[in-house]
Amino acid sequence: MMTIGPAELAAMIEAVAQRVSIEREALNRLDAALGDGDHGTSISAAFTAAIEAIAALDQPSASDIWLAAAKALMNRMGGASGAIFGSFFLKGVAVIRGKDRLNKRDMDAVLTAGLQGVQTRGKAQVGDKTMVDALAPAVAAFARTDDFTAGWRCAAEAAGDGADSTRELIARRGRAKYLGERGSGHIDPGAMTIAILFAAIDDWWTGKA
Amino acid sequence: MSARTHKLINEPGNIVDEMLEGFCAAYSDIVQLGGDRLVLRAQPKALGKVGLVMGGGSGHEPAMLGWVGRGLLDVNIVGEVFTAPGPERILAGIRAADRGAGVLLCVSHHEGDRLNAELALEFCEAEGSDKVDMVILYDDVSSAPKGRESERRGTAGLFFVWKLLGAFCEGDVTLEAAKALAEKARDNTRSLAMSLSSCASPVTGEVMFKLAEGDMEIGMGLHGEVGMGRQKALSADETVDLMLPPIIDDLPFQAGDEALVLLNNSGSMTLMELFILYRRVAVKLREAGIRVYKSWIGPYATTLETAGFAISLCRVDDQLKALWDAPANGAYMKQV
Repeated sequence: MMTIGPAELAAMIEAVAQRVSIEREALNRLDAALGDGDHGTSISAAFTAAIEAIAALDQPSASDIWLAAAKALMNRMGGASGAIFGSFFLKGVAVIRGKDRLNKRDMDAVLTAGLQGVQTRGKAQVGDKTMVDALAPAVAAFARTDDFTAGWRCAAEAAGDGADSTRELIARRGRAKYLGERGSGHIDPGAMTIAILFAAIDDWWTGKA
Repeated sequence: MSARTHKLINEPGNIVDEMLEGFCAAYSDIVQLGGDRLVLRAQPKALGKVGLVMGGGSGHEPAMLGWVGRGLLDVNIVGEVFTAPGPERILAGIRAADRGAGVLLCVSHHEGDRLNAELALEFCEAEGSDKVDMVILYDDVSSAPKGRESERRGTAGLFFVWKLLGAFCEGDVTLEAAKALAEKARDNTRSLAMSLSSCASPVTGEVMFKLAEGDMEIGMGLHGEVGMGRQKALSADETVDLMLPPIIDDLPFQAGDEALVLLNNSGSMTLMELFILYRRVAVKLREAGIRVYKSWIGPYATTLETAGFAISLCRVDDQLKALWDAPANGAYMKQV
């Protein structure tokens, strides 16, 4: 069975960073409808900082890479988004720690812990019009599969559908909740970022496999 | 009224650092610039006093930079525009404010500020540091109904808390007492804001939200979050008459109470408008039997160039009046 080690985790985060950078303006436009319009700029800068931090590590373990990503997102991004996206990686660190390489079941646990981290920090449930609307179905879809190839493909599809589902929702968490019904009709930028993240990983994996 | 999208800046990525360099150069007798975007007192507080730290996004200048100084805050941690600083910077701020008697982290209630403060405190706990606590500050009556005050946002009225708490922590007080004083000041403060225009992000150049010419929005967070609803803009007196009752009735402020009053300029109101608005505020407070102890009018907690203002009231007793009158020397808050 295929496994993922430190080099692959670093490449995966780099693939995400590249895709987020390409989608930066589109994410800013989504955020402008619901927030202050800089989500794309800030998350792109944070993933760039994550790549730089990872590149600076000397022979990193798998958990070192996930921790570097957590810290870069929290500290470079700031705000609620930084705390919540950072918590996704931070909660995975403990699951990865001590493992050289991750098999599919390990990655299930990493993603599940990450989702728990996001929900514990942000208190959001599915239907609140947040990144959880994309992340929860993606993690569930990934865990239902037996191998990485099917896992990333199903996760990417579920995250995309989940992001689309936020369009008609009324926000119940975050700054957008103060918009009430006026926020309906717009996709949540955090959910879209999760869709982009899994799409980037799926493409990276397909190109690699 | 449209927002001014052209701003006199250099690289958008450098705005926060360049602003801090300019501010600290201008007021070098009061503040100094630390690493991690910390604004520190030029002369630290004496050892053995409780340290006061406040983080927050930028775009609200002079808040909270202007409240670092003697009789006020010890450290302000400055984030990106409208974005709370991350936990590592907050931790650096807490360490910089530590004078051996504990540190109180003041959090203006917004999701990002609260989450990052919680993370920072978790890291403090993990390091075995138990002399750090946090207090969540809020005042905006439009963001949650009475009875759910703890869900409200922190807005212009925190102006009162920084001054009162800063004066309190110049004394020989404990961390617990400092937190209790912060809660007392907060629980006696109420604010409501209105807006006639949006503002444009200096990062993206895009207008933050759309408000039609001739419309106004009552109930506005510090980031242009919409509040109680939009309507046709009214006259100054009519606007005050609409905004004061929800503030007065919420606490409630009663006949015989004494209050500090702030008319906060959100960015680009004229002083002429604010004085005309204050005239009506003074009349209505007198009618309600509420005595104005001190009043302040100006741009203290702004939202970039937003045209709008907030009314904030803080009920004061003898303790709070004495703290208000205690000396303070921040760049934007002086009390001799």
